[in-house]
Amino acid sequence: MTRMEELEIVGQIIAGKVAHILIREKTDTKIELGNLLVAESRNGLLILQVHNLFYGSQVSREVLELTAGLELEGRGGSLEFFDESLRNYVLAEARAVALVSGNRVTIPKALPDFFSSVRHVVNEDLRFMDVPENTAYLGKVRSGSNVLDVPVRLNAQDLFTHHVLIPATTGRGKSNLVKVLLWSVVNDDNLGVLVLDPHDEYYGGRGKELGLSNHPDAKDKVKYYSLAAPAGTNTLVINLKSIMPWHIEELVNLTDPQSEALYGYYFAHKKDKQWIEAIFKDERPENVAPMTAAVLQRKFKTALGLDVNEQGDLICYNRAFSATSGESTLSEMIAALESGMIVVVDTSRLSDKAELLIGSLVINEILTKYQRYKQETGSSGVSKLEDKPVVSIVIEEAPRVLGADVLSQGGDTTYSTVAREGRKFKIGLVAITQLTSVIPTTVLANLNTKIIFGNEMASERNAIISSAAQDLKEDYATIGSLDKGEAIVSSIFTKFAIPIQVPLFDDYVAEYPSRGTREDKHDIHLKPNRRVV
Amino acid sequence: MKRKTSQVASELIKRLDTHLNDESIGNPFFPERGIQPFPLTTDGFKTIQNVDSDKKTAFVDGGNQEVLGAPNFSVQLNRVYFGMWSGNKRIPERSIPKRIEFFAATFSDFERGEIQYSTSLFPLAGEEAILPRERDLSFSSMDRSITVGNQRADIYRVGSISRRFSELVLAKSVVENELAPGDVILLDGTLQTAFPNEYAYLAELSQAAQKKGVILGGLSKTSALFTDTGYSLLGALDKLSAEKGITSEWYYPIADGTSKDHFVFILGVKLNAISERIFRLEIQRDQFLSLDERELNELLTQLVRNSADYTFPGYPYGLIDADRFARVTSSEREHYFAILRSQMAAMGKWEKFYRHVKATDAHNVLNKLG
Amino acid sequence: MHQFAHMADVHLGANRHGKMAELEIGAFVRAMDMCITRKVDFIVISGDLFHVGVPSDLNTVRQAVAKMREVTEHGIPIYAIYGSHDYTPTSTSIIDVIESAGLLTKIVKPQVIDGTLKLECVVDARTGAKLVGISARRMGLEREYYDMLDREELERLDGFKIFAFHSGIDELKPEYLSRMDSIPISLFPKGFDYYAGGHVHQHSEHRLPGYDRIVFPGPLFAGYGRDFEFTAKGERRGFYIVSFDQTVTDVEFVETVLVESMFKEYSLTGLNSARAQDTLAESFGSLDVDGKIVVLKIRGELSGGKTSDIDFVHLQNLLYDRGAVDVHLGRRGLTSADYASIKVAGEDVTIIEERLFKENVGTVHTNIPELQGDSGVKLSLELLRVLKEDKNPAENKKEYEARMIEDALGVLQLKGAFEK
Repeated sequence: MTRMEELEIVGQIIAGKVAHILIREKTDTKIELGNLLVAESRNGLLILQVHNLFYGSQVSREVLELTAGLELEGRGGSLEFFDESLRNYVLAEARAVALVSGNRVTIPKALPDFFSSVRHVVNEDLRFMDVPENTAYLGKVRSGSNVLDVPVRLNAQDLFTHHVLIPATTGRGKSNLVKVLLWSVVNDDNLGVLVLDPHDEYYGGRGKELGLSNHPDAKDKVKYYSLAAPAGTNTLVINLKSIMPWHIEELVNLTDPQSEALYGYYFAHKKDKQWIEAIFKDERPENVAPMTAAVLQRKFKTALGLDVNEQGDLICYNRAFSATSGESTLSEMIAALESGMIVVVDTSRLSDKAELLIGSLVINEILTKYQRYKQETGSSGVSKLEDKPVVSIVIEEAPRVLGADVLSQGGDTTYSTVAREGRKFKIGLVAITQLTSVIPTTVLANLNTKIIFGNEMASERNAIISSAAQDLKEDYATIGSLDKGEAIVSSIFTKFAIPIQVPLFDDYVAEYPSRGTREDKHDIHLKPNRRVV
Repeated sequence: MKRKTSQVASELIKRLDTHLNDESIGNPFFPERGIQPFPLTTDGFKTIQNVDSDKKTAFVDGGNQEVLGAPNFSVQLNRVYFGMWSGNKRIPERSIPKRIEFFAATFSDFERGEIQYSTSLFPLAGEEAILPRERDLSFSSMDRSITVGNQRADIYRVGSISRRFSELVLAKSVVENELAPGDVILLDGTLQTAFPNEYAYLAELSQAAQKKGVILGGLSKTSALFTDTGYSLLGALDKLSAEKGITSEWYYPIADGTSKDHFVFILGVKLNAISERIFRLEIQRDQFLSLDERELNELLTQLVRNSADYTFPGYPYGLIDADRFARVTSSEREHYFAILRSQMAAMGKWEKFYRHVKATDAHNVLNKLG
Repeated sequence: MHQFAHMADVHLGANRHGKMAELEIGAFVRAMDMCITRKVDFIVISGDLFHVGVPSDLNTVRQAVAKMREVTEHGIPIYAIYGSHDYTPTSTSIIDVIESAGLLTKIVKPQVIDGTLKLECVVDARTGAKLVGISARRMGLEREYYDMLDREELERLDGFKIFAFHSGIDELKPEYLSRMDSIPISLFPKGFDYYAGGHVHQHSEHRLPGYDRIVFPGPLFAGYGRDFEFTAKGERRGFYIVSFDQTVTDVEFVETVLVESMFKEYSLTGLNSARAQDTLAESFGSLDVDGKIVVLKIRGELSGGKTSDIDFVHLQNLLYDRGAVDVHLGRRGLTSADYASIKVAGEDVTIIEERLFKENVGTVHTNIPELQGDSGVKLSLELLRVLKEDKNPAENKKEYEARMIEDALGVLQLKGAFEK
């Protein structure tokens, strides 16, 4: 017995053309929008995806309307539709997305056999998707509202170096996805991730909901920086010496004289690096006019929360920056990323500018290092970059740094540079946004994986569809109907746009096999006769 | 001088009106001999009493289209179909195929000083045994039953005869293999024979039906019957029923036919209360007379129950179904034409056939010219 | 009003010979004398009093103990914790010996209950100040103790309280120590009046949210190793005297300078070994090094000869002959063109070049996008690389010049621009 004979037939192909194959639904079965259906052929399994549903009838529209009127007005009497299921039915419009033959998957180029039966997809049909070596976990394959037991895993290095876009409106589950994704790659030593977390939702702890801190290996593989750091994590404080004039130029609009003045201060304090303090201490270099100095003070005050008190000491109202502490913070973050850790920076108490500055500091540094590694040859004779982990940056509200107006006003930002060129240097971006339409297509084209959540806005759907790796024209309606946690993965690394269900993070964590915990380690060290000095 | 259209229309309507008798209904008028009509009165209506049963009704219909034609040959695709119902429930067939399809190729020969039509049958699907006999499909082209006035019968008409005969043959097979005593076999149209040799087939069907105890009937969608005052017969019944104030389903005995060619009892029936249509129902005479009131109502109840589809209330869905599945569509006709034509060309015969086809092809050409 | 002294990283025994050893113990003695003079109420030593856990030079120990006896006889208790150097994991350390003699009190009183580390505090009898501490272990392994620490209990202690520790703190370590093992401040109990630190060999005072006063005194003397360079460059050495009643009222850094230091840097790039020797000798001959600790840094690339051709011993002796107390001559940055040497991490020429260009590209006024920002930097580096190319033996000067120009124009995408 073939699978087709074992499993329930749900429809039959009756007409259509490429990407618009019409399937008549069998009575008492239910075909849903987004369902994956299978037609078996000589060449293998043809997987079809439903992108539209409509009613079909052998009865003319006028008669149907009249009939409905009779029923509604109670005048139908004993009348009914004979052969109802034969004459009134549902038609599904589908496109063929993959032809599976053994382990070989190709994009179908021919129409399925006319009048072939179709059935729902089952786990075995999608065996080719489960690649256990791939660490980046996104969820399970979804067929309509039915979730199959087929995990969708992508190669983390590929995924992150080729950049990711997560377009979604609020409440669709994008943060949940990011948490699940990050959890799955915690132990990937070939990947370091910097997460700018403006809602402090990824680390967890402090009696809040679960987060990366609950990972069994969090102590060694996850670093957390926050202004309100819980025990064991790092206080977010970066020394002003870490900031260079070019970081400020990206952040704040400066006129030419202001820029010149900025560099004037910088060069005057090349040795002690206290050029920012100098701006506030009125230690004006010769070529800087008092007015310009005052403007710079004001701009720093606004952007970084700096000021002087009555005693003339520099105060950082924004506690993320300091003149006296945090000298090593940047180096530590970079070292952590270079050793394949996840670095979560809680920016929930920071202004936009401060958050972006911190990101920019880290990215600039890592980009410079990685550019250098690429040029240098290691002992094995290949570029040093080969031995370095991929580094990715997770940034929310991506239009702040990738938006067309931002880029046209101030030119390329560190983030857009990463989007355009980062792949050469194993540096990637995970951009989360509610508004895809404001990101230029030249940037979107570089974000090679899109994990698309539900979106009602027409302009956004169009922007997403037009930049996707697969032809998603037909998914316009589907994208509007995606429920919370449902997404479509469109990537250059997937044969077709895969509908997925992202598990709830708490459920995913519960499924995760437990490993050695801190408690185990303490048992080893706290034997009664062991001295604690 | 050009006149206004409204003026012309007005004159036309006035003339029609004088001829349309709305007052005196009269009584049913049958030109043929052997039919005894009954008077039309308001008391003649009988309400159909609901009698439950699980009896079956089989509906048979056929369709045909000329695929390739010339004055001297005609190739037609014929299709006959049957469906079985019990009230509003479809009953699946047990043994015989639902549908018989065959080509009928009729050609003309000059014999005994006259053009003779003969037909060969080529089954496509279904049992060969359920086809009419080819010899019964040979006629003189001047046989009065198929001529139109004094004009020679169009060879195309012979195709219709093949279809009609195959309906009767299929009906007989259905009676013998699928139906039980008390069930009904209903043809589309009347039980009157019109074509040469048709009587033999109807007789065979009638005998088989009587032997099995299956009631033979025919329902006509249209009727050209009149009353003796020039009123349309079914129109008259409609008017009378309104006067009577009947709101439920009814039947009205119209006439008793005793001639060999038309041995039936004729009723007018209204099979759904909200329907505006009245149909002519013919039942084999002996069988009708043997039915008591209960049995008649049982038969009619089945029809009522089968006539409750939204798309055509008052008309048996079984006949709609049979019509749909028996029909040969234009696109099918074109499809088969293409097959025949390419096969002819492959056999080097197309030129020969086309010479004859051109004679009747002018119409198509004109049509294409728009 | 009360006072206490806070010192750390004395590293007695680090300098074992001659004048340096004298100066080292001398600094300690001086500090103790100042404590007596200033009548401090107690002394806190935040680890590494000794350079090793079991010193071999008992003379230094004897002198230290004698001074500590004197201090205690003045009614000034000494409270201490282990540092990363002066403890031993397996046997008794010198600190234990001194404690058993009643000359100091260890303020690390741990108890592990249900996997939590509880610290009992030591209360100073005179002032009522509460002291707790966590000692160090090698390589920052004390981190485990901090992980287990019952911070809430310590935070609930009332009165004036001091937390002594011997570790780097993530948020406070200087850039050049970024690789040092350290502990995040979040593992320290909040709300102490004074965090008496050790381990970082630079004096500094810090404040972080929840931690008002985190203080590292640095070594009393020059310390050892790299400390000398910092001292010579001006890093002040000493300890803190902290005034307090309910809270800290004053924090005073008291220097214990016994000897001056000087720092000088030399670049020998372009000189051959012989010329380098002469240059250094000439310079050394004019330096005022009498009574000073001299720290010299020699770097550069010799144009000829080996680095070992230079008689550094002789050169050092020149300085000693002129009265230098101690000479530290660093020459890791000295290479020879004739012999390849290992690049020093962090001093890569390409990093410096890139940084220089990055710093200066903003000062170039131009509308041409290729010359601005990152593209400008890239272009500059490429141009530099091209222009650094040496002349091929096969080509003459004119050909070399032409090739340089052509390559440079290629980089600037101006090939053919200057042809007539």
